[in-house]
Amino acid sequence: MKVIPAIDLIDGKCVRLTQGNYNCKKKYFDDPIRIAKSFEQQGATMIHIIDLDGARLGRSINADLICEIVDILSIPVQVGGGVRDLRTAQQYLDNRVDRIIIGTAAIKQPELVARLLKKYGAERIVVSLDIKEDEVVIEGWMDSSELSLNQAVKRIYMLGVRELIITDVSKDGMLAGPNIELVRRAEIGNMKVMIAGGVANDVDIQRCEQAGLDGVIIGKAIYEGRISQFQLEADSFRKDAVSNLTKRIIPCMDIADGRVVKGINFKQLQDAGDPVELAKLYSNKGADELVFLDITATIENRLTLYELVEKVAAQINIPFTVGGGIRILEDIGRLLKFGADKVSIGSTAVTNSDFVKQAAERFGTQCIVISIDSKQVGDSWEIYIKGGREATGIDAIKFARKMERLGAGELLVNSLDRDGTKQGYDLALMQTISTAVNIPIIASSGVGKSGDFLDVFSRTDVDAALAASVFHSRGIDIQRLKKYLLANNIKVRI
Amino acid sequence: MIAIIDYKSGNIASLSAALDRLGQQYIITADPDSIRQADKVILPGVGRAKPAMKELQELDLVWVIRELKQPLLGICLGMQLLMQSSAEDEIECLGIIKGSTKKFTSLKVPQIGWNVVAEINDDPLFSDIPNKSYFYFVHSYYVPVISKTIGSTLYGKHFSAVIKQDNYFGVQFHPEKSGSVGQQLLNNFLNL
Repeated sequence: MKVIPAIDLIDGKCVRLTQGNYNCKKKYFDDPIRIAKSFEQQGATMIHIIDLDGARLGRSINADLICEIVDILSIPVQVGGGVRDLRTAQQYLDNRVDRIIIGTAAIKQPELVARLLKKYGAERIVVSLDIKEDEVVIEGWMDSSELSLNQAVKRIYMLGVRELIITDVSKDGMLAGPNIELVRRAEIGNMKVMIAGGVANDVDIQRCEQAGLDGVIIGKAIYEGRISQFQLEADSFRKDAVSNLTKRIIPCMDIADGRVVKGINFKQLQDAGDPVELAKLYSNKGADELVFLDITATIENRLTLYELVEKVAAQINIPFTVGGGIRILEDIGRLLKFGADKVSIGSTAVTNSDFVKQAAERFGTQCIVISIDSKQVGDSWEIYIKGGREATGIDAIKFARKMERLGAGELLVNSLDRDGTKQGYDLALMQTISTAVNIPIIASSGVGKSGDFLDVFSRTDVDAALAASVFHSRGIDIQRLKKYLLANNIKVRI
Repeated sequence: MIAIIDYKSGNIASLSAALDRLGQQYIITADPDSIRQADKVILPGVGRAKPAMKELQELDLVWVIRELKQPLLGICLGMQLLMQSSAEDEIECLGIIKGSTKKFTSLKVPQIGWNVVAEINDDPLFSDIPNKSYFYFVHSYYVPVISKTIGSTLYGKHFSAVIKQDNYFGVQFHPEKSGSVGQQLLNNFLNL
């Protein structure tokens, strides 16, 4: 469950209202930028910002300030207050705001919500329903919509909304505990719900978590120091408290003649840029590791590859793996000497398993990645070699176990069925291999959208996810992807 | 001058690239005198503990390292070798810091990836590095949290990410591969 600190803005200042009453505002901190940064430093994994002037007047008033806050943060931000037209929504969503919160407009202009959902996806549009005396209230909590909570929920569910914030206005700023019962009574189906209003202490947070809520938004209690910094962080991390190891995002670059190329099955290769420049870009965007695969792997190209490895090692300060055409121990020795951190071994591991053992003994298991090309046959998967052109009859799961025994440090699992399809990772394959071995698994093949990364991390035990074309085409921005994963409770390094 | 101890057990390419980026002069050496005379010494290391210790013994470097007075930084296996013994092949190590390494058992082994380092004690080594920054780890064995631990990390259990005893420092992660925070940590060590 996410523990989300809230920042409410009036006249560019951070304020708290009591029960939504604009006349009893109580100022806490003047500088919202400083306070947002401090929430991030205290371990918050998302921040909730409301433009209260905007909510009251029906247009964004503090938008520039909000965009400034978003720019200095590396964690995701959700923004609401006065988002009632397409232009305002776009202004936020096109300017690095991760999610927008729609309140009044969700009730009064369903067509706007439908349009935004279509353009930006359900994970970036959150609807906030504010409840006062069993009715949903709108226009900065000043008017009634004459809808009950369940009537409103049903309507917005039909629009395609999948994330909700439910606030009991009477609890807001009262520090008397959140109205969890209200959420329990709501017919929310499979929607994710964050609760706001009244959260006073660590016990309230625990109750929200036990109630199965997706997040809890906290205002006053944080400003008044009722929730400890440590607790805030512990809760953000609680879901997997045995480890703080993060899931890795790995861009892969196919290399031919010293250039990054794109293409399916070695056909119609297109130039996708200079590997060193691309590596720098990805590293700055927050890639956790990089993979370079020499897809030509001829002897003449070997020298070009070594030069490239040396250049990358000189300029990049995150780990990188090099693969393609590794056949003898000397190939590994040279790549490591030129600065590669790990090597990826493909066909040779299948045709000569003794080679894996020797490589692990000589260079250490930590630098041996075994790349497995597999294809589904009935209920199992078969290993292919030579770039997927030759079937071997070997069972992929048995092979994975054997590689672990021989000293593989990691397995890079490719699905020939999914490669280039953009239909998402082969989740069944990934989970079957993840449970069969006790070494890290890198999932590969099939990514089309950000949700595919979320699926592979939330539904399987893989440790890393690799993709190529979606990053090269700038279709998926790594920084935004990681914020999206973090907002969905996947631990990633930001 | 910085001396990187060359005992055929380190990924010296990444480390030297990192020092190049910092504009530092260094020598890669197994010569006892050069090591003794260096201002700073780095003991890198990946791979297995047993061949690494054997190599240090054959190069007559065990006592050289034990008697150093200048700051020494052990990285990954280089940190584990500072301990008395290792569960890996049940061997004796350099014996500079009391305690021994253990093998991870509860989660996937090796631990590979970026994990959070909590700074337990203030130290010049952490200068300008925010507490709970991410560093890159690759290891199957770990040093438990001991009195010399100044930074800890959670992977199944809390273990020593950073240890310090007098002039000896050890980091379990790879600062040379840990982005800008890693670079900062190396720089802090070199400025001690």
